[in-house]
Amino acid sequence: MLDLIDITKSFRTGPAETVVLNDLSLHVGEREFCSIMGGSGSGKSTLMNIIGLLDRPTRGQYRIAGEDVLAAPPDKQSSLRNRLIGFVFQSFFLLPRLNAWRNAALPLMYRGMPEAEAKRKACAMLERVGLADRMEHMPAMLSGGQKQRVAIARALVGQPKVLLADEPTGALDPKVAQEIMDLFLEVNRELGVLVLIITHDPHIAAQCPRQLRLGAGRIAQDLRVAA
Amino acid sequence: MIKQAILEAIGNLLASRQRSLLALIGIMVGAGAVIAMLTVGAIAREETARQFRAMGTDILLIRADSDQGLGNLPLAETEALPAQIRGLSLVAPFMLGGGQISAEGQSRSTSFLGVTESFAPVARVRLAAGRFISRHDRFEPFAVVGSALAEQLSTPFNRIRVGSNIRVGRYVFTVIGVLEPSLPSPMMPADVNDSLMVSIPNGRRIMSTPQLAWGVARAAPDADPDQVARAIGTALEPSMREGRVQVQSARALLAGLASQMRLFTLLLGAVGAIALVLGGVGVMNIMLVSVQERRREIGVRLAIGATRWNIQSLFLTEAAVLSLAGGAFGVLLGLAGAWGFAQMSGWAFVVSATAIPLGAGVSIATGLFFGFYPAVMASRLDPIVALRTE
Ligand SMILES: Nc1ncnc2c1ncn2[C@@H]1O[C@H](COP(=O)(O)OP(=O)(O)OP(=O)(O)O)[C@@H](O)[C@H]1O
Ligand SMILES: [Mg+2]
Repeated sequence: MLDLIDITKSFRTGPAETVVLNDLSLHVGEREFCSIMGGSGSGKSTLMNIIGLLDRPTRGQYRIAGEDVLAAPPDKQSSLRNRLIGFVFQSFFLLPRLNAWRNAALPLMYRGMPEAEAKRKACAMLERVGLADRMEHMPAMLSGGQKQRVAIARALVGQPKVLLADEPTGALDPKVAQEIMDLFLEVNRELGVLVLIITHDPHIAAQCPRQLRLGAGRIAQDLRVAA
Repeated sequence: MIKQAILEAIGNLLASRQRSLLALIGIMVGAGAVIAMLTVGAIAREETARQFRAMGTDILLIRADSDQGLGNLPLAETEALPAQIRGLSLVAPFMLGGGQISAEGQSRSTSFLGVTESFAPVARVRLAAGRFISRHDRFEPFAVVGSALAEQLSTPFNRIRVGSNIRVGRYVFTVIGVLEPSLPSPMMPADVNDSLMVSIPNGRRIMSTPQLAWGVARAAPDADPDQVARAIGTALEPSMREGRVQVQSARALLAGLASQMRLFTLLLGAVGAIALVLGGVGVMNIMLVSVQERRREIGVRLAIGATRWNIQSLFLTEAAVLSLAGGAFGVLLGLAGAWGFAQMSGWAFVVSATAIPLGAGVSIATGLFFGFYPAVMASRLDPIVALRTE
């Protein structure tokens, strides 16, 4: 599903050039569930931004389902993000002025879907993530766990193939973090969506069938655990 | 989708109320100035057009000049002009002065007109009561009063009417006619409504400078007033011992007024444009701050699949909504201002048909023009950088 070949990413800060990813190669198949760990500054977020088409590598090739996505023009990449990829962030990033279902429906609105249909799908997805009774709530009126559920509903509403989560449980207490982790495992199992989740929490990582570790700009460890 | 976008824009604008209000006021003042200027222009144009319609564009004003100031028109020659000049139908030489008059204890200063019989048809004044000065009234102490003057000299117990007495210096005149109100003519050196009219011989008695310096004339309907004006000048020149004659046509005055009006409108237009630019800069400033504040939101929208154009139109819609609202309030403000002007000047309030669409259009255009740069800025944001901002 995801093919990264010899990906290099370097940042030019003044005269010095920092190489964050160094000839990194990675293949992730459909329906896989991977955790990505690594020290702070090891390039996890950078890698995820490249996978999510938010950033471009300095060098290397990247294909999603065989399609060379780096060659696509910006607006084509927008539409690829919209259709193939869902994002979940550490601090939720809900739009504060939209209620829960409007937040969840946003990716569909950008597809030009009529509002009524988008609302129906968004509400169904919110129900799916356990927020049946919070459709009209504004983000400010939701708890952290509930906000993250809205964000997951937003990431999944467009039926993407890939769900990218950058420290999705980092801002939550352990009990709620586990609930969110259970939700990820459930949607991976039931919707068949590929999940990549960055985490610092070994307990979260341990629950993932495939566990990656970044080091020295590459995949330093690739562990598959039998279910 | 469009409805949704507009509702969202309104929601975002309401969320930062103070800033939106400032931009709104800027646009409002700009659009208001444009509307006010257009409407005041229309009111003034309408008023002059009305005056000229009432007085006719065939009117001519004759003035004798000398080195000392006003000159003297030869009475007999002037009155004989219609027989000599083809295209000149009527002429009425008159004297103009002013002074104190009193009636029934009411005293005020006013204009005096020494007139002949033909003054009434030439100046198009109508009598509300009585008759006008006639050729047979010479030294008889008869006077005709203008409507406004009659009103002002009247008391609740004693109205000025035919037969009333008016004292001018040593002389007591008997009112033989009261005029109907008429629109003040922009051509005439004095407002007939506010004048006391007597015969020319009586005029020489009551005026300090008894010069027959003025005349009004009417060109025939098929004649060219400017040509008639020149003919009058040439015909009178030989009989003027000293001094010159100037003849002005309504058309020339109208042209002069029109160019003045254009200048005035242009000036107000410049003021309105400056106000609009200031309002537009306000919109731009506010949109830039808004883009800065909402960087993370922009990042999120880009991450979930918004195109550059989606982001651009998000901010453009806000700018358009803001400037449309500002424009709408501005139209109201401008119309209110123009209405106030009409009330103060006593002119009829008219709304120019172009004012409202123009004002609204101009303010939206300003909003979009100044909103464009911030919108492009927003759409060019790098999603990662935008997402990283706290
Ligand atoms: N725009 C940039 N310009 C310069 N350096 C950058 C930029 N973005 C990231 N870096 C650098 O790249 C390295 C990797 O950053 P990245 O955010 O991917 O780390 P991370 O593994 O996600 O860390 P953390 O666990 O703390 O989130 C860091 O050293 C960072 O300073
Ligand atoms: Mg990170």
